[in-house]
Amino acid sequence: MEKSLFDKYGGFSVVSKIVLDLYDRLLDDDDVGPFFDEIDMARIVDHQTKFVSSLMGGPASYTDDQIRKMHAHLEIHQLHFDKLQTLLRATLADHGVAPEDQDAILGAFEARRNLVTE
Amino acid sequence: MTIAAINEQLLRAIGVGVALLDLQSLRLRFCNDTFRGWFGEMEVGSKLLDQFQDFDVEALQAALAAEGRYTTETTFRLRRRTMTVAMDFNRALDEDEPIAVLVCQNISRIKELESMIDSYSMMVERNTREIKREKEQVEKLLLNMMPRSVYEEYKTFGIVTPRLYDPVSVVCLDFVGFSEMVSAHEPGVIVSELNDIYTAFDRIGEQFGCARIRAVGDLYIGVAGLPDPTEDHAQAAANAAIRFMRYLNQRNGSHPIQWRCRVGIASGAVVGSVVGVQKYIYDVFGPAVITASQLRYKAEPMTISGNRAVVERLGDEFTAAEAGSITLSDGSEETVFRIAAEMRAAQER
Repeated sequence: MEKSLFDKYGGFSVVSKIVLDLYDRLLDDDDVGPFFDEIDMARIVDHQTKFVSSLMGGPASYTDDQIRKMHAHLEIHQLHFDKLQTLLRATLADHGVAPEDQDAILGAFEARRNLVTE
Repeated sequence: MTIAAINEQLLRAIGVGVALLDLQSLRLRFCNDTFRGWFGEMEVGSKLLDQFQDFDVEALQAALAAEGRYTTETTFRLRRRTMTVAMDFNRALDEDEPIAVLVCQNISRIKELESMIDSYSMMVERNTREIKREKEQVEKLLLNMMPRSVYEEYKTFGIVTPRLYDPVSVVCLDFVGFSEMVSAHEPGVIVSELNDIYTAFDRIGEQFGCARIRAVGDLYIGVAGLPDPTEDHAQAAANAAIRFMRYLNQRNGSHPIQWRCRVGIASGAVVGSVVGVQKYIYDVFGPAVITASQLRYKAEPMTISGNRAVVERLGDEFTAAEAGSITLSDGSEETVFRIAAEMRAAQER
């Protein structure tokens, strides 16, 4: 069986660093950050952990329907999605994820665009 | 620059939040830049602790008076980030004046990591539960295909050594006119009916200790006395066979498609083993299987034929009448017996 990117990049010990770095960048960003204004820290971290893990083929997976429902109450525009895409790519690059693997992860992200954006 | 001035500059710049408070009034005497960055601008002389919601001032004062030390945590929002700061108060003297030194460490990262570990471990636990459930399903499936002892051996060593079981009793059953039935009805109907019948046979077999080994089309083979040897394997096989027919008789009374079987039972030796690597199956081979299969051809519809070895082991619950003979593969003749339930015994049940 082909190794997932989650395992290829060292499993949880490396992915955890990517998650926390992304968490910092999201909160500092004035486009995406406001979505997390009223959200409890534990929930944001939980969300980010599952988000990155599922994109990298780790121990989390969501059906399209679950993703749609989870984001239904948010007004996510193309700009927000694009911004998160940029932040995610920069984070992955800074943690040594190879360009072709970044493409694979961001491809999985892009595939869900229509589920969450208005 | 004096040592005191250097100290003060250091104190202002370090990444730890430091504040000095008057011990009695708990009013602020000094705080450094980091402290201000976290908790905002505050004036010297202000009541610092009023800023913190639910701060237990009495507990602080009691602890400072007794042990001279008090530790707590506070959580607040800095922009949109949830900050958690560990607060450590220590009693001290500033030129003979009693003060409290408050040292604050930012432990937000630790809290974030804790949350992440919680989240991750829940994911892993859920996955582990799913894997366990899948493993149990696979195990259940394999246990339907082979005896537990064989499964255990297969699981441990990856192979199964063929084993001789002697004596056991083999029941071989098929249906009269099966080919005609298949062409006369929809395949789905036949499969559904067979599923129904074999499920009932399996249940009967389980009740009497005669486990199904194989069911291919209309051929059903069960064995009694395997994998654990039993004294009464012949009775177990005969009891199961008689119930198979009773079940069919009852079923035929209320179903449009009539199923009539013929049964052969033989006692003797078999070899049991797993066959195949990718598509493996547990199977039994040997003289008892061949003889039971031959005896089946000798049986009239809805009757049971058995060999001498079976009949000799049957008790008085059964009757056995000679019904010709068959020629075995080695050329020898084997007497055939028609086996039925003893009427009295059947009525008593």
